[in-house]
Amino acid sequence: MRVSNVTVRKRLALVLTVGILIFLIIDLRLGYVQFFMGDWLTDKAKSSWSRNIPFEPKRGEITDRNGVALATNISAPTVWAVPRQIDNPGETAEKLASVLNVKTDTIYNYITKGESIVRINEARKISHEKAKEVRALDLKGVYIGEDSKRHYPYGDYLSHVLGFAGIDNQGLMGLELYYDEELKGEQGSVQFYANAKGQRMDDMADDYQPPVDGLDLKLTIDSRVQTIVERELDIAEAKYNPDGIIAIAMNPNNGEILAMSSRPNFDPANFQTVPAEVYNRNLPIWSTYEPGSTFKIITLAAALEEGKVNLDEDHFHDPGFVEVSGAKIHCWKSGGHGSQSFLEVVQNSCNPGFVELGERLGKEKLYKYVHDFGFGQKTGIDLQGEGKGILFKLDRVGPIEQATTAFGQGVSVTPIQQVAAVSAAVNGGTLYTPYIAKELVNSATGEVVMKKSPVEKRKVISEETSKEIRRALETVVAQGSGKGAFVESYRVGGKTGTAQKAQGGRYLENNHIVSFIGFAPADDPQLVIYVAVDNPKGTVQFGGVVAAPIVGNIMEDSLHALEVEPRKEQVEKELTWLDTPMIEVPDLLGLTKSEIRQMFVNLQIDSSGVGTKVVKQSPSAGVKVKEGSTIRIYLGEE
Amino acid sequence: MPTKKTTPDFILLIVTFSLLAVGMTMVYSASAIWAEYKFDDSFFFAKRQMLFAVIGIIAMFFIMNVDYWTWRTWSKVILITCFVLLVLVLIPGIGNVRNGSRSWIGVGAFSVQPSEFMKLAMIAFLAKFLSEKQKLITSFKSGLLPSLGLVFTAFALIMLQPDLGTGTVMVGTCVVMIFISGARISHFVYLGLLGVAGFVALIASAPYRMDRITSFLDPWKDPLGTGFQMIQSLYAIGPGGLFGLGLGESRQKFFYLPEPQTDFIFAIIAEELGFIGGSFVLILFSLLLWRGIRIALGAPDLYGSLLATGIIAMVAIQVMINIGVVTGLMPVTGITLPFLSYGGSSLTLMLMAVGVLLNISRYSRY
Repeated sequence: MRVSNVTVRKRLALVLTVGILIFLIIDLRLGYVQFFMGDWLTDKAKSSWSRNIPFEPKRGEITDRNGVALATNISAPTVWAVPRQIDNPGETAEKLASVLNVKTDTIYNYITKGESIVRINEARKISHEKAKEVRALDLKGVYIGEDSKRHYPYGDYLSHVLGFAGIDNQGLMGLELYYDEELKGEQGSVQFYANAKGQRMDDMADDYQPPVDGLDLKLTIDSRVQTIVERELDIAEAKYNPDGIIAIAMNPNNGEILAMSSRPNFDPANFQTVPAEVYNRNLPIWSTYEPGSTFKIITLAAALEEGKVNLDEDHFHDPGFVEVSGAKIHCWKSGGHGSQSFLEVVQNSCNPGFVELGERLGKEKLYKYVHDFGFGQKTGIDLQGEGKGILFKLDRVGPIEQATTAFGQGVSVTPIQQVAAVSAAVNGGTLYTPYIAKELVNSATGEVVMKKSPVEKRKVISEETSKEIRRALETVVAQGSGKGAFVESYRVGGKTGTAQKAQGGRYLENNHIVSFIGFAPADDPQLVIYVAVDNPKGTVQFGGVVAAPIVGNIMEDSLHALEVEPRKEQVEKELTWLDTPMIEVPDLLGLTKSEIRQMFVNLQIDSSGVGTKVVKQSPSAGVKVKEGSTIRIYLGEE
Repeated sequence: MPTKKTTPDFILLIVTFSLLAVGMTMVYSASAIWAEYKFDDSFFFAKRQMLFAVIGIIAMFFIMNVDYWTWRTWSKVILITCFVLLVLVLIPGIGNVRNGSRSWIGVGAFSVQPSEFMKLAMIAFLAKFLSEKQKLITSFKSGLLPSLGLVFTAFALIMLQPDLGTGTVMVGTCVVMIFISGARISHFVYLGLLGVAGFVALIASAPYRMDRITSFLDPWKDPLGTGFQMIQSLYAIGPGGLFGLGLGESRQKFFYLPEPQTDFIFAIIAEELGFIGGSFVLILFSLLLWRGIRIALGAPDLYGSLLATGIIAMVAIQVMINIGVVTGLMPVTGITLPFLSYGGSSLTLMLMAVGVLLNISRYSRY
């Protein structure tokens, strides 16, 4: 068959059409790349052209509730090199290495890198003295840049809570880690465009992205209270050489942590010098152990709330032990406390008496309150590494478990759980989530970016029950086992605890965690303080002997610092032969010297001024002082 | 044999010169930085391109006046010479390796690529062969098979270098010529299936081709390896937008896009002159295609038609593959953009081919 000319012409036209069509498709593709993919490609291309010089933001400061700086930044020198400017790298490396105490090869590798500017990582954040030495070498192409370094002005103060930041100012531990995202800010940069050989392209404008400084973190911590706590723990550490100490101070009315400390502690600037478990474990929230008698507050609260006991009218006879399912559970006092009211049971911390309360409640009720007071679960405090504790499962609780739980054995709890729970017991019955970060503040504008408000978890007991607990616990301090914590006019209430430590399934001999949890003033608690001393040496291991006085000291000074008004009424302290009786200072104003002399036997008078009658006196009338104290008077004419 | 000569296709000439002008400008713009860096002379490549253009234009005008039947007489000899060169270039010591392919013959600046000549030789010969054997072309055995056998022998030799780009352009061109000469559509369907099978076999035989294909589908999978050129090309085109960054304002030519004056010059055009500039170039090529087909339609005999078809098909296919690659429609194959890419043999051969077209146009029936 012969192919006609028509076929050829038709096919040529077809080829032309198809060809033009393909060109059109290619042009559409061009448009697609330039218009639809354009922005995306431009961004990617720009980032491939751009070179960043990072600008570090300032890390936010951490302050206490009154603005006292607890973690700040100081400038720290860092050595940089510009390889292209170094004519004799061998010599430069040698000189630099000897000053910096680094291998010459390491430095040589840095300063011969094919980069425009190199940071000597071994010479980051060095001391100012070292920087001076490097400067003195006067090396060409070697520069000292200012970097910033975390600084903790109070050293080991509050160290577990604050934690620390690493060499890149990144939070590694404690609040520095928990609030790292907020504290660290955003890196800024100067961005310039460079060709593939790294040279700057002059015709493209540089982009300056200013760094965004981190937010300042304001804590609920009150540095005045914290200072008092640290001081008392230092004294206790020196006195008892314990395995550890834990202290927490909290405002029971909102869950704000005012102070938190523990021993052993560390200096955040040199955290490497202590074992990892020391800085890793923030004991007040991490450790779990049997609480001992402090836990009786929970049993007491439950029994009162459920109407199972009247503290004054119900009586109990303690023969020194109680039999539960054929097992004898002994009271801590051999021979027992004999016959006593339930108020005395609380004051004496009598174990069989609390076993009785536990039995009256029954395991369901008892455990309901244990759970409601927050045990067996994290409190939710804004710190890393909180412990949970261990409770018996309800279906595993037999009479013995119920009995031991009632006086604080066989359960495992954290210190912060106890503080939160006791706060709820004394504040009117509300369980709060403890917290430590109060505000995040923009340091440039002063604007408060985040403000935490108290979180009420639940109402556990009624106001009346809470009031009764306060009354009972005030008598524990004034008349019972907690006398060491008594503070004149401040109505301290509290409970001692002596917990046995279990190891390998058995209790250790002569090795206890002795504790005291106290609150004041009992009519309107402003402060709850918990102190636990792990295995104090050279003393009877009783909470009332070791821990209660520490709480008393902290309580007295802290209430003064917090400007809490002294109370007029209080449950008077039952004196032991150790105590000096307290007497009230009488009103001396207007009296003459001889009149005064007739009045007393047991106060010293120190007078000054010329005159016949008293115009000023110190302390003023009504204040209680120890017998034999000195009263200063100023005499004048009327 | 018609004897009445008229004036050559003036529009084709204008379009060709326009393309040359764009090419000269863009070769300078794209290569200046690289030339300055490497040779301390920003005009290094531009000057050479100018020289090749002048040689090419002289050759074009010369060939424009050579009656195209002359090539029919010589086509057999030229084809055999090219076959010999294609075999010679494969022998180490004679053929030189550049960019992984042994495709160059000669010394230094006087090096040529036999495969480039083969494209033209094959067009010239096939035009003669098909116009003489047109009666047989509908027959598979005595028409189609011999033509294709010849084409694929040349293709096989080119693939031994290997040079997939040139090989593909040559095969594509020849298939268009065979199609125009009147081969049966059904034969094309069978051959198409065979072609697909062959393509698969080619890829299977050389894994780097597979890499090129996957890198074309997602160049960001291996941004520093197989996807590198593709990405750098898109980084040039993307930011160009409608009007481009302006002549001379390319960023990607700053050492990001390797040798921007050669295969990827269209990316720089799209970057500096934008969608408008890129479309303008495509319109010029469309005009070229139109004039080429028009010359084929107006040719006084089938030989002239087929010769014009072959030449314009070669140019158009090369443009499609090159810009297709640059815009990411196709896997990367090293092939120049006619009239625009830097390169002596490519430019002069293209201009010579236009010379042939112009000569055919002088005998146009229109």
